[in-house]
Amino acid sequence: MRGPHDYGGLPAGPVDPDKHEHDPTHWEKTVDALMMLIFDQKRRLARVDESRRMQEALGEDYHKFPYYERWLQAVTWLMLEKGVFTAEELEAKQGEVRTRLEAERNGA
Amino acid sequence: MEPKYKPGDKVRILQRNQPGHVRTPIYVRGKTGIIERIVGSFPNPETLAYGDTGLPYKMLYRVNFRQAELWDDYDGPADDTLEIEIYEHWLAPA
Amino acid sequence: MSEHHHDHDHPTHTHDGKPIQEDPLPPLEAQILETSVRELLIEKGVVSADEIRRAIEAMETRGEALGAKIVARAWTDPDFKEKLLHNSDDALMEFGINMSPMELCVVENTDDVHNMVVCTLCSCYPRPILGIPPAWYKRRDYRARAVREPRAVLKEFGTELPDGKQVRVHDSNADLRYLVLPKRPEGTEGWSAEQLEELITRDSMIGVSDVLAPSEAGS
Repeated sequence: MRGPHDYGGLPAGPVDPDKHEHDPTHWEKTVDALMMLIFDQKRRLARVDESRRMQEALGEDYHKFPYYERWLQAVTWLMLEKGVFTAEELEAKQGEVRTRLEAERNGA
Repeated sequence: MEPKYKPGDKVRILQRNQPGHVRTPIYVRGKTGIIERIVGSFPNPETLAYGDTGLPYKMLYRVNFRQAELWDDYDGPADDTLEIEIYEHWLAPA
Repeated sequence: MSEHHHDHDHPTHTHDGKPIQEDPLPPLEAQILETSVRELLIEKGVVSADEIRRAIEAMETRGEALGAKIVARAWTDPDFKEKLLHNSDDALMEFGINMSPMELCVVENTDDVHNMVVCTLCSCYPRPILGIPPAWYKRRDYRARAVREPRAVLKEFGTELPDGKQVRVHDSNADLRYLVLPKRPEGTEGWSAEQLEELITRDSMIGVSDVLAPSEAGS
């Protein structure tokens, strides 16, 4: 009964410190900041252990998601679980943001 | 809270399946090591993970293993070791 | 890192409504989700755009330079080193660092022992001291193999250890965070703490490599 995150001792490839290194992007730092802010003393909306539970809940997707996409999923699910926003609100917001970002990416 | 174990005690990590969030990785379960030190009492991550208070606190230890105990095929000198933090409710005397 | 560009052709990201640096874009779906969550949190008054910006700035000021200062101080001040090894909270307070609710566990490299840190279950790391963990530290390759074949992994970092030196791996899985106190290299007698800091790399404080040789200072 091994969780998807429990990597210790499993077969894996070589560690390539040059190839597997990059400075965190602004987007990654934004996700990092959101996580730190929901944990902080002012908000205390969630605990790090809850975030880990959510990441482990990704199951097989845990391996597919890059690190900060796992964090983003955890933040999202935690905010839904805590009732900070509802699934309906999120869906409506995503529709609006999609239109905006697609236009931006298409150079509009 | 009185720690049940002291540095130098031989302990076995429980070979236990448990649903939900736990911090005892599979690779140390069922293995025997030595208490390196008592870290102190900390909220229980297994309940913190569900938004609970983590009470009652659990005593946390650093447990030292010989690598050869963890991996049958360990490729390295016999005195290489691994240390990891284990909560008291995952330990049994060995 | 936080340099703002206002004049490039492809705004990569809006933050406070302004395009910022030209980082590679995340996948569209991830960007949509992040933007949506961020905007909802701002609209609900949970966080402000300013708090996000300040959190990112704080992240950018924390990094290995702080770790190097702590190690250099330990190399040059025996009382501080004792405190760092046995009462790290007090030692870190001198640098204005508070690790709470975690504790820092400092492990010392010696002639006979080499320490190396991994978090097999996620990517626990002494962030208040070393900043954001390197990408390889968070990947399966390192997390899976550092505990089982540490010497092979060390070689991949260019670190060859004699069999006579014990390798101690620390799986950072719970409430402690780990900092390796590397060995001060020979040939640095009389160096100031500031000079020594230049030799102390992030990787040497994770324990995957040694510090730089004195001849590499400033390189």
